[in-house]
Amino acid sequence: MSTTGPDPAFPPGEAMKRREFLKRVAGASAVAVGACGLGLALRDPTGPSALPEVKALPGLGDYSVKDRPAGSPRMAVVRGADRAAMFEQGMNALGGMEQFVKKGDRVLIKVNAAFASPASLGATTHPELLAAVAAACAKAGAASVGVTDNPINNPESCFEIAGLAGAARQSGAKIIVPRAGLFAPATLPGARLIKDWPVLAGAFAGVTKLITLSPVKDHARAGASMSLKNMYGLLGGRRNVFHQDINAIITELSLLARPTLSVLDGTVSMMTNGPTGGSLSDLKATNMLVLTTDPVAGDAFGAGLLGRTLEDIPYIRMAQAAGAGTADFATLNPIYLDSGA
Amino acid sequence: MARQRTSGAERMTGLAILALLACVAAWLAARQADFNPAVIVAMNHPKGAGRIVGGQQGEALSQSAGYLAGVQGFTALSELESYNPETLSDKIDGKAELYLASNFQEMACRAFSVADARAEVFVYAMESPKDAFAVFSGQRRPGAEQLALAQNAYATENALFLTKGRFYLEFVADHASPELRPALENLAQTLLAALPEDASQKSEADLFPTGGLRADSVRLAVSDALGMEGLENVYTAEYALPAGEAAAFLARRGSAAQAQAQAEAYAAFLTGNGFKPVPPGPDTAGLPEGARVLALEDMIQVVMTRGPVLAGVHDATSRAAALELARALGAALAKSPEEGKP
Repeated sequence: MSTTGPDPAFPPGEAMKRREFLKRVAGASAVAVGACGLGLALRDPTGPSALPEVKALPGLGDYSVKDRPAGSPRMAVVRGADRAAMFEQGMNALGGMEQFVKKGDRVLIKVNAAFASPASLGATTHPELLAAVAAACAKAGAASVGVTDNPINNPESCFEIAGLAGAARQSGAKIIVPRAGLFAPATLPGARLIKDWPVLAGAFAGVTKLITLSPVKDHARAGASMSLKNMYGLLGGRRNVFHQDINAIITELSLLARPTLSVLDGTVSMMTNGPTGGSLSDLKATNMLVLTTDPVAGDAFGAGLLGRTLEDIPYIRMAQAAGAGTADFATLNPIYLDSGA
Repeated sequence: MARQRTSGAERMTGLAILALLACVAAWLAARQADFNPAVIVAMNHPKGAGRIVGGQQGEALSQSAGYLAGVQGFTALSELESYNPETLSDKIDGKAELYLASNFQEMACRAFSVADARAEVFVYAMESPKDAFAVFSGQRRPGAEQLALAQNAYATENALFLTKGRFYLEFVADHASPELRPALENLAQTLLAALPEDASQKSEADLFPTGGLRADSVRLAVSDALGMEGLENVYTAEYALPAGEAAAFLARRGSAAQAQAQAEAYAAFLTGNGFKPVPPGPDTAGLPEGARVLALEDMIQVVMTRGPVLAGVHDATSRAAALELARALGAALAKSPEEGKP
């Protein structure tokens, strides 16, 4: 094909004139030079200024007791109605609080303060239990006892209305109210959901022991809320997005922080309409307090208090598979006691 | 100077560049929409308490918050809070989905001093009376005392639960006492008087036969009804009959064809779970035309349609009870001329 001859874009008689061509070249060159100049002007050779380096935490720590003597009991189940008496008896059966909290330990107690709801409605950790546990920690020589949760409702209201603030004051413990500065992103190794997600890391600063205090409750989404679900309160952000995958997030939370001791309060259990309840008729006196070094085992026992099986609460076996504990609580040789109270 | 005409190649090149720019813009928009939420949430710790709204009348209060802004004769113990579908879980966490699935619009709550108790009042505004009934019935406490305060109302030791029109209301006290009940009812009546009158709306549940019906057993499952995924808006009701206990279900659909299609789907769901068709026999006489009886060991299910209504029987303690209720249900539907329309 010939490359000579008139440009078809310019029919005969309308061919581009030399002057027009030069003007166009000059215009195009000016635009190109301008663009290059603008690019150079906007160029930032150093890049964005460095933000404070935020390295995602791999978790909140493993506070589990590793040096328990062989054959030491790892679970106690106490029947009764007086939480303080039940806790004391169960603790004695496990060898005393000194087995878990040493002199100088800085203890963090993770309660369930999710709702601004009075203790009588059973939606939150009972203040009598918190007072008993905090006092036992102090008696064992703890240097400090902090109490925390990231509630659903206004934190101050939750701690106050649930009676937890008063119990903390009574026992010399300090409520750590969640605020923005206490949250830091965490990325749990191998996790699918806890990736760069804000967690209540500030409450764990300097902590050497972690104790969880959880009520036994029905939960509309998860089937049940006990020790493992209680760890949901360590998450920040719009955490309700995880409700779509509730079993997976609870499983990952079982690895986010490993407690020294888990106390599951089934003295009164919320059997229906959880997690908020609202009616006293949602509650049932199930008269059991579980103390264990294994929250998975504790929850497996607690499922029975709600009349449910492990099939009804999938995250228990999932947490076991993840390595957080065992759902076969019988292998812990639990000690069964009756407080008579 | 005469404007130079552009060639076809130039036009095509220009259009291609514009198309490329449009693609880039679309890609950028998509990427922004898919922004890593962790970055946002890490920098925005939630307040955790929804929106505290002012008590001043005239402010832009939500409708339900307005009803709680000034309740005559009762002392407010907390600020007025208001929640929308995005923030509802900030208040009730794991239970929010129950309301969201039932066309939740907004909720307001506030605590009041009632008798010697602290009572929190929740006003949930739903889209329709049917939605309010769905959340009411979904949480109904078995055996609770029925009240005449409203069409749907019951009391427990420390609380009242009721609906009025599209509103679902809870009055929850922190403890029970002899003085509490009348005081709570007084508070409820005060609030009910402020709520708009219920536009009379016939409920599908009125189609259930009344003989043997447990009045407090009617429920509305908005999703995954009867254990079948995708089966929506189905009323259920429990019966105590001479032949035993059984439960009926019914749901109005857009047309007779839709009802028939769902009946077939439900029957297929049952057979997929081991139920087998029961051939007609002496005891199936008198069942509505087209009713299908399916059995799995001693469990009997009946599925039928009448016009746009899908109906049936489940959870029967005996075959006789199931068939007795199916006949009664069929007769009740036949008496409703509207449901007989094809």
